Amino acid sequence: MKKVTKEVLRDTASRLMFTMKEEEYDTLLSDFDLIIKQMDLIANIKGVDEATPMTFPYEISTNYLRIDEVEAPLDIKDALKNAKDVKDNQIELPKVLNR
Amino acid sequence: MSYLDLSIKDIHEAILNHEVTPIELVKEALERAHNDKHNSFECILDDEALEAVNNLASKDKNNIFYGIPIVIKDNYSTKDIETTASSNILKGYIPVFDAEVVTRLKEAGAIIIGKTTMDELAMGGTGTTGHLGKQTNPWDAERMVGGSSSGCASSIASGVTPFALGSDTGDSVRKPASYVGSIGFKPTWGRISRFGLFPFAPSLDTVAYFTRNVYDAAISLNVLAGRDNKDMASSSKEVEDYTSKLFDTIKGKKICVISGILDSFSNEKVKNLFLTQLDKLKEAGAEIIYEDIDKNLLLSILPTYYIISSCEATSNTASLDGIKFGNRIEGDAYEDVVINTRTQGFSERIKRRFVIGSYSLLKENREELFIRAKKSRRMIVDAFNEALKKCDAIYLPASSSVAPYFKDIDNVDKLSDEYLIADNFMAYANFAGLPSITLPLGFIDGLPIGANLTSKIFDEVNLLSIASNVERIIGLKNLLAKEEE
Repeated sequence: MKKVTKEVLRDTASRLMFTMKEEEYDTLLSDFDLIIKQMDLIANIKGVDEATPMTFPYEISTNYLRIDEVEAPLDIKDALKNAKDVKDNQIELPKVLNR
Repeated sequence: MSYLDLSIKDIHEAILNHEVTPIELVKEALERAHNDKHNSFECILDDEALEAVNNLASKDKNNIFYGIPIVIKDNYSTKDIETTASSNILKGYIPVFDAEVVTRLKEAGAIIIGKTTMDELAMGGTGTTGHLGKQTNPWDAERMVGGSSSGCASSIASGVTPFALGSDTGDSVRKPASYVGSIGFKPTWGRISRFGLFPFAPSLDTVAYFTRNVYDAAISLNVLAGRDNKDMASSSKEVEDYTSKLFDTIKGKKICVISGILDSFSNEKVKNLFLTQLDKLKEAGAEIIYEDIDKNLLLSILPTYYIISSCEATSNTASLDGIKFGNRIEGDAYEDVVINTRTQGFSERIKRRFVIGSYSLLKENREELFIRAKKSRRMIVDAFNEALKKCDAIYLPASSSVAPYFKDIDNVDKLSDEYLIADNFMAYANFAGLPSITLPLGFIDGLPIGANLTSKIFDEVNLLSIASNVERIIGLKNLLAKEEE
């Protein structure tokens, strides 16, 4: 397992597209200290590594195929109503090129 | 006596008998919401509620929800009504559609009078982490009400409405229900559509709700259950009449106590109250059996929950970037907009949870953290399902104590049996998707505490039948906190 350091956590936060304050990383390090101790409890379960990972609560299958029916899509006004800046029916953002 | 203090069933009868009108009920509910002292509301919908009452003519009077005021947790999409999940990142977000469960309630004639506060993005259990601050417990404002459906719990306990729609990922309805003396019911995962519920950890998230008694919980499920093609995890299994066996006897029903869980309760008052009530079930003809589950599995419930939910939450919230919606904070470039929005929009607590989730998903850590938690989930589920094969329901206290004081929230040993098991074991029902209900157990020092019943998947008719019996035997329902003026 990758060692938990401030550098690793800073890199993780950066990939999550946010920044954190220095003291917040200290709190996070103590969170990890507890989590690693709690995860050791899982490692103590006899045979845990041989178990099949469980993703959903029970076996489910779904075979629904939507009928291809014509229907009114979301109105442009509605689709854009939550965007902060809109121009020509498109979401406006800072320029990516030539900035 | 006010009609608003009654059960949904009794209010419904009063409406049909012309003893009270929906407009009178809604006006009183709105007034109570405005007088709320527990920070229960993100918004109170005066205009929308009054308009909905005026449009009731198109609804079926015989529907149990006709004209019934209700509140909804702020993580359900409500068309044209700001929905923030108590997070600054969603400030100003106005959904363009209703969640399926909201649609069903509206079609049934329910009147939404407010959206309730919660722990930010439903990630918490104390009712202290939402962007509007903490919710307080109507039984004692120095104490927490629990979370994450905190505003639902405080509003139902103070009598604002007889129904509050919450959501339950680990115990977010069932634990607060214990702290306020109400019913907190989470049906089987897949029984009610989650379309329009903001995802936290979809393999665990369940539509759940608060009522004042078991009958109301059962009849509400009649309205809400059923396949929805917009939620691929919703079940096509036939919807039953969940009230059909509420008056059957408990005689011969096998009620199971998991010894290792009960042993983890250190509070003797809680244990003694539970055992006293258990004797009453036995006297009524229930067969009480004790089963045990490997303690290592019980100790692993909380860490398993924490890792799985954090990993799922991390990926589910990637869309909250301030571009398409959300409270955009400007920047010089696209990336800066996203980083500024997410940095300022999420609280520190939420960011820490995301980092933990993301760290657990790193290639180097995945096997030891995320995959191991999923393996542990399998073993925990197998153990509880094995116990359920031998009984009709598992019965245990729903919380290790009455609602804790705010000052004691961080004053716990997070490696103790009490914290890891007694206080957090109910997530096993989310791991396995089991139907699970909290109902009043009794009072300790003048404060309510609940017990929890959990049964096999899609066994709601049986579970609610047992719960209804337990409610009759213990004799506690329709509890409201009395405010001192």
